[in-house]
Amino acid sequence: MTDNTRSRSSFDNGATGAGDIKVEVRDVEKLFGSIVALRGANLTVRKGEVTAIVGDNGAGKSTLVKCLTGLYVPDGGEIIIDGEVAHFRNPDDAREGGIETVYQDLALSDQLSVWQNMFMSRELVRRVGPFKFLRRKEMKKQAKTLVEDLAVTVPSITNSVKRLSGGQRQAVAIARGVMWAKGMIILDEPTAALGLRETAQVEALIKRTVDQGQTVLIVSHNFEQVKRLSSQVWVMRAGQVVGGTRTVDVTNEELVGMVTGAIQLAG
Amino acid sequence: MTAETRTPLLPARRSGRVKGLAKRFGTEEVWAKATAPVALLAIVILFSIASPRFFTAANLSGMLADSTIPVVLALGATFAVALAGIDLSLAATVALGSVTMGLAYQQGWPLIVCVLVAIATGVAVGAFNGVFVGWVRIPDFIVTLGTLSLVMGLALILSTGVPVQMREPALTFISTQSLFGIRYNILIAIGIAVILHVVLFHTRFGTHLLAVGDNADAAKAMGLKVARIKLAGYMLCGTMGGVAAVLLTSYIGSSQPAANTDYLLKAIAAVVLGGVSLFGGRATIIGPVLGAILLTFLQSGLTLLGVSAFYSPLVIGIVVIAAATLMRGRK
Ligand SMILES: Nc1ncnc2c1ncn2[C@@H]1O[C@H](COP(=O)(O)OP(=O)(O)O)[C@@H](O)[C@H]1O
Ligand SMILES: [Mg+2]
Repeated sequence: MTDNTRSRSSFDNGATGAGDIKVEVRDVEKLFGSIVALRGANLTVRKGEVTAIVGDNGAGKSTLVKCLTGLYVPDGGEIIIDGEVAHFRNPDDAREGGIETVYQDLALSDQLSVWQNMFMSRELVRRVGPFKFLRRKEMKKQAKTLVEDLAVTVPSITNSVKRLSGGQRQAVAIARGVMWAKGMIILDEPTAALGLRETAQVEALIKRTVDQGQTVLIVSHNFEQVKRLSSQVWVMRAGQVVGGTRTVDVTNEELVGMVTGAIQLAG
Repeated sequence: MTAETRTPLLPARRSGRVKGLAKRFGTEEVWAKATAPVALLAIVILFSIASPRFFTAANLSGMLADSTIPVVLALGATFAVALAGIDLSLAATVALGSVTMGLAYQQGWPLIVCVLVAIATGVAVGAFNGVFVGWVRIPDFIVTLGTLSLVMGLALILSTGVPVQMREPALTFISTQSLFGIRYNILIAIGIAVILHVVLFHTRFGTHLLAVGDNADAAKAMGLKVARIKLAGYMLCGTMGGVAAVLLTSYIGSSQPAANTDYLLKAIAAVVLGGVSLFGGRATIIGPVLGAILLTFLQSGLTLLGVSAFYSPLVIGIVVIAAATLMRGRK
C-alpha cells in the first residue's frame, strides 16, 4: 500500500477559494471487481484555464476521466459541476452539458468515415413530415472546413477512419471534441501519437480553446507540455490525487518526484 | 472528392489523397462491393450458355419471384450482422409468423389483420432477441440459438403441426400476378429494400447501428444508447421474418408450421456474399439483395441443368465459405 494520508493537507493546492470552480471531484471511488481503480480522489478544476493531471500508468487517470464524463458511474463520492452535483448516467448527459471528451482510446468508429465520426450522435438532420433525414452534404462540408483548421491534415473527410495514421486519428478525435465543446473539454493523453510539430499545433489549438473561454482538463505524461499549457497540475498515484499545485510554482524535477513518490511536498 | 479544389493543396496533402484513392481501388473493399454483382453476372452468362431455357423472360421472371423470401430475409439478417451479431432464429420466425397468421385466419379475422398478426409476431421475436442481446448481454449466437428452438417449438405447439389453408385471392394475387412482367412479391421485396437503404444511410439510426456494430465501446463513449440500438436492429430483423411469413403464406396458400432451415442458410449466405462485414460496422442493402438473387439463380440454374436438388445445400455451403474467405482480410 502506497498510502500517504498527509499528502492532501501538506500540499498548497492553489485551486481552493480562488476563481470560479468548474468541476469539483470529491472522494470519488471506483472499483472493478476487486481492483480499486480510484480510492477517494479529490481535485478541482478552475473555469477558463487548463488543468493538468499527471501520474504513472495505472494511477487511475483515465478512470477518473470516465467518471467525469458519465461513462463510468462512480461507486462513491461526488462530482460537482458548475456548483451542482452531477448525476451523469451516460456520456450523453455530459455531452448535453457541454462537456466533450477526447478519450485515450479515441472512441472512433473505424469503419465509418471521418465526417460520420465527427458528427457521431450529433448528426444534422432535415425534417420531412414525421421523418428526419441526415444532411449528409452539409455535414461533409462542415467537417471539411473544421478539419482544414487542424494541425494534422486528414486526407479526405469521406475516408474511413481506419485508413488514417495514428496522428490523423488523434486529430479527428480532437477536432470532434473541440467542435462540440460548450464549456469544457477533457483530453486524455491527446498528443501521445503525435510528432513535435503536430503536438505544438494541438497545443496551440488548446490555447485557442481556452482563449475562447472554455475550461480544459488534460491528462498528460509530458511534463514539458504540462508546464507549457496548464495553470494547475494534480498528481495521481494508486487511485488517489496525492497532490496539486499551481504550475508556475513547480519545476519539472519536482513533478517527476511527485509522480514517483520521491517528493511528498511541492514548492 | 474530386471537386474539392477550393483551398490550395499542399504537396503533402495531395500525395495523401492520391494514396487514399489508390488504396481504395486496390483492395478488399472492392472485393466486398463487387463480389455479388460480378458473380451474379457470371452465373447468368454461364447458365445462359449451358441452357437455352435459362435466359428467357418467363424463367428470369420466375426466378426473380423465387428470390423474394431469400431477399427479404437477407435484408433482415443484414441488420443483425451489421451489429456484429447474427439471428439464427430467422427461419423459425417465418414458421411462427405463418402459424399465427393461420390462427388469426381461423378466427375469421380480416385478411389485413392476419397479415399484421404475422408481422407483429416477427417484431415480437426480434424484440425478445434484442432484449437478451442488448440488456441481459448474452452473446447473440446463444440467444438466437435458444430462440430458434423456442420459436420452432411454439410454431408446432400452436399449430399442432397442421397447416391452415388460406386460399384468399387477395393473398395469392401478390405471388401470381405481375406488373410489367415482374411479380408483385419481388416488387414488394425491392420496395422494402429501398426503404431499408434509406434507413441505413439516411437516418441517424442507420449511422448509429453501424457505429455500434463497429465498436460498441466507442459508440457508448459518444453517448449512443447501445442496448436500445441493438434492440431496434433485432426488431427490424424479426420484422423481416414476419414479412417473409406473409409472402410465404401467399406463395403456398397455407401456413407452414415447420421451419425451413434452408432460409436461414441462404439469408446469411446472401449477407456474406453482399459484402457485409461479419465483424459488424459495414453494410450495404444492395449487396445482400444481389446475393440472395444470386443464390436463387444458382439453385434454379442447377435444377435446370438436371442437377439433383440434393446438391443445392452443398453448393450454397461452398459459395458461402468461398465468399467469406475472399473477404477475410477485412478488419
Ligand atoms: N475496465 C476496467 N476493468 C478492470 N480494471 C480496470 C478497468 N479500467 C481500468 N482498470 C484498472 O484500474 C487502474 C487504473 O487504470 P487507468 O485509469 O486506466 O490508469 P491510467 O489512465 O492512469 O493509466 C489500473 O490498475 C487498471 O488496470
Ligand atoms: Mg490512461
